[in-house]
Amino acid sequence: MERRKFLKQSSLASSLFFVPSFVKAFEQVATSKLGYKRLVIIQLSGGNDGLNTVVPFTNDLYYKARPTLAISKKDIIKVNDELGFHSSLLPLKRLYDNGDLTVINNVGYPNPVRSHFRSMDIWQTATDANRYSQTGWLGRYLDNYANKPYLGIEVDDNLSLALKGERLNGIATKNPKAFFNLSRDPYFKNLVNHEKDAHLSEHNLGYLYKTMIEAQSSAKYIFETTKTVSNHASYPDNKFANQLKTTAQFINSGIETKVFYTSLGGFDTHAGQLNTQKRLLKTYADGVEAFVNDLKSNNTFNDTLVLTFSEFGRRVAQNAGQGTDHGTANNVFIIGGQLKKQGIYNNNPNLSDLDDNGDLKFEIDFRTIYATVLNKWLEVNDEKILNKNFNQLEFI
Amino acid sequence: MKLKHIQHLYWRAGFGILPNDLEPLKDLKRKAVVDLLFKNSEKISPLNIDTSELNQILKSGGPLSDVERKKIQQLSRKKSIELNMSWMQRMMKPWELLREKMTLFWANVFVCEDNNVVYTQKYNNTLRTFALGNFKDFVNAISKEAAMTKYLNTKQNKKQKPNENFARELMELFTLGEGHYTEEDIKESAKAFTGYSHNLEGDFVLRAFQHDNSYKVFFGETGNFDGADIIDIILKQRQCAKFICEKIYAYFVNDRLNAKHINEMVDVFYRDYNIKSLMHFVFCADWFYDDENIGIKIKSPVELLVGINHLVPIRFENKKQLLYLQRQLGQVLLDPPNVAGWKGSRSWIDSNTISLRLKLPSILLNDAYISKVENDESESMMLAKKQVLKNRVGKQFKIQRDWNFFENCFKQVPSNKLQDYVLMAPLSSTAEQYLSTLNKTSKQEYCVQLMSLPEYQMC
Repeated sequence: MERRKFLKQSSLASSLFFVPSFVKAFEQVATSKLGYKRLVIIQLSGGNDGLNTVVPFTNDLYYKARPTLAISKKDIIKVNDELGFHSSLLPLKRLYDNGDLTVINNVGYPNPVRSHFRSMDIWQTATDANRYSQTGWLGRYLDNYANKPYLGIEVDDNLSLALKGERLNGIATKNPKAFFNLSRDPYFKNLVNHEKDAHLSEHNLGYLYKTMIEAQSSAKYIFETTKTVSNHASYPDNKFANQLKTTAQFINSGIETKVFYTSLGGFDTHAGQLNTQKRLLKTYADGVEAFVNDLKSNNTFNDTLVLTFSEFGRRVAQNAGQGTDHGTANNVFIIGGQLKKQGIYNNNPNLSDLDDNGDLKFEIDFRTIYATVLNKWLEVNDEKILNKNFNQLEFI
Repeated sequence: MKLKHIQHLYWRAGFGILPNDLEPLKDLKRKAVVDLLFKNSEKISPLNIDTSELNQILKSGGPLSDVERKKIQQLSRKKSIELNMSWMQRMMKPWELLREKMTLFWANVFVCEDNNVVYTQKYNNTLRTFALGNFKDFVNAISKEAAMTKYLNTKQNKKQKPNENFARELMELFTLGEGHYTEEDIKESAKAFTGYSHNLEGDFVLRAFQHDNSYKVFFGETGNFDGADIIDIILKQRQCAKFICEKIYAYFVNDRLNAKHINEMVDVFYRDYNIKSLMHFVFCADWFYDDENIGIKIKSPVELLVGINHLVPIRFENKKQLLYLQRQLGQVLLDPPNVAGWKGSRSWIDSNTISLRLKLPSILLNDAYISKVENDESESMMLAKKQVLKNRVGKQFKIQRDWNFFENCFKQVPSNKLQDYVLMAPLSSTAEQYLSTLNKTSKQEYCVQLMSLPEYQMC
């Protein structure tokens, strides 16, 4: 084919002519009125020790199980007559006092798995413990209610399973400009226009093409929407705080993105827990407070809900290495300006009724929290996304 | 042996093969080609970065002062980068190709990391030593590695207070897979590994007073088991052979598992857990060369980087940039995301990595420039554009490229046959048509264009 003729054809291609069917599918989803409400997920990876985070300081069983690891009454920040925050969580106490925080205790799921990866997958896919899924709960939210990948952004270099859907994947980026520059080569643009094999998407190679197309269409939008807003608010100088800073910058730019995903790792404290957890909880709390203040000063806090979870809690009894082994139920933090039930949401952990491994029994299935967030906050059909009907909670 | 089949074998057992290396293999039978691959990997060449300064401190036997501790950390941080580079370099110029590929594979089965570079180097060389050996010896060696007893807290596993971390991951991730043991099995086997520890220099030490000599009940057997006994019992389960065969199939053949093929593999492996026999069986199997298994795997970042380097040798003047690329692509050697390792396959690919991966060959080899494909652009416009890319992106990477090497190896290959040597995935007709319009460019530039196709991401 002659060059000129070819070019003519390829410019035709930029109309819908050669665009593969899975790209067209994006357009066919009606742009539903999704509103302005946003969800920010903070994942504490490694299994945060919930009992040393929100401490049952009047419970003898707690001190008995952790002779050298329990946090003494004098070191905690009391929130009520029975519970107190870890000393690193002073910023969280301020949110608590302000009515911007709900702590949900004893969150878990039936037949708990004590493997990080499996349990994290369970939290991210929201499936039963004995079922495997290739799609995440937020990915399925994108599948059903979004028409563009960038409606879900993970502020990191890699995309978690939580944001992977059947048809759409969320976007992973912490630097919109670099992301945009990478994807804009005309070579790729033309290549996309030439790819017309709809069945490709079923294979690994098709998956590459599909992801390439999503990346291109999203990079441009994210870059152009967010470049006008710079963030001058002050944050601590660490990777986690940077994630939140970027998230705030995105939110304050008015980007259409509904779901943001961030994470803080290192909570797998089998040994030397006290110092490690102290440092990590400080990083968490200081970052979150800066984030909330930033949103408040931009009037976006009331439209934002922050959910913090970890893949499991840790065993009630300490181990021999000044640490704790993998456990089960744990606390979940909900932060927002429109909470219905503020403070401590439910019962304290019951340390007198443990399972055979000496772990806490869960009281609230984490998927009821997801269902509540999907239904009452993002205002979509939670059953369609979770493939099951869960009771709604009353925190929002 | 067919050209495509030799290439397939060399991509899975190594990092690709050049036209001039391919030529002499064409007339050989499959078994002869496979035998040669194994013969060339018989030797074991450990990585050997200079850690003498560290060894000096470790030789003292401890206890360490705070200053010494700090010194170890400092030196280790620096030397870890060196070890990463040395491993990369090794794969780029492997002496024992298959052994190196197997080492890379096992590093993602027996996942481990540590901040003491003496222990990590030792660990890495253990992977290399047993890569084609006996699986039972391998697991035993791993369980006694300093880096492993640190990483999975076997060191803290004591008679008085067992720590289950190693026992759990041993079964979940190293030998059986989730769901093939009970919580009770974990508790009991953790007892058997109590007292496992190491001295400062990184040699295994069994701390007898911390070892639990009581009877343990494990998989229905009762006895005063130690760690080696537990590994014996685990390996008696056919599930263990199946678990490893599935991992090997997913990595070397196809991530869509074929139950019939895997069953054949298990029959071979369960007999004596000889890794070499198993791999030989796989590479000789007819199904290994089925079309549905060729060019369908998504290259790992390391396979991608090493593969590019295989065609056109590159040298990073700033070593940190090679490290940076590993990080951006999502795979830093010696620094796995967690004990499950890298998930591989499609999880290498997301919106971020896809753009970088497609752009990578042009960034490394051609100052980020791929080709002129835009409508109605004049030569001078293109030159200007090329210059901008070179200044903005190309210059960020300080790289030396050996295009002469490429020209020499591809001397006998005409430009229009280049794709047969560069790509493993079949080109779609549209992509082929698209490429045919770009033919006027040089062989070098055409090579970069081919490498910029999504098809190049496959092996």
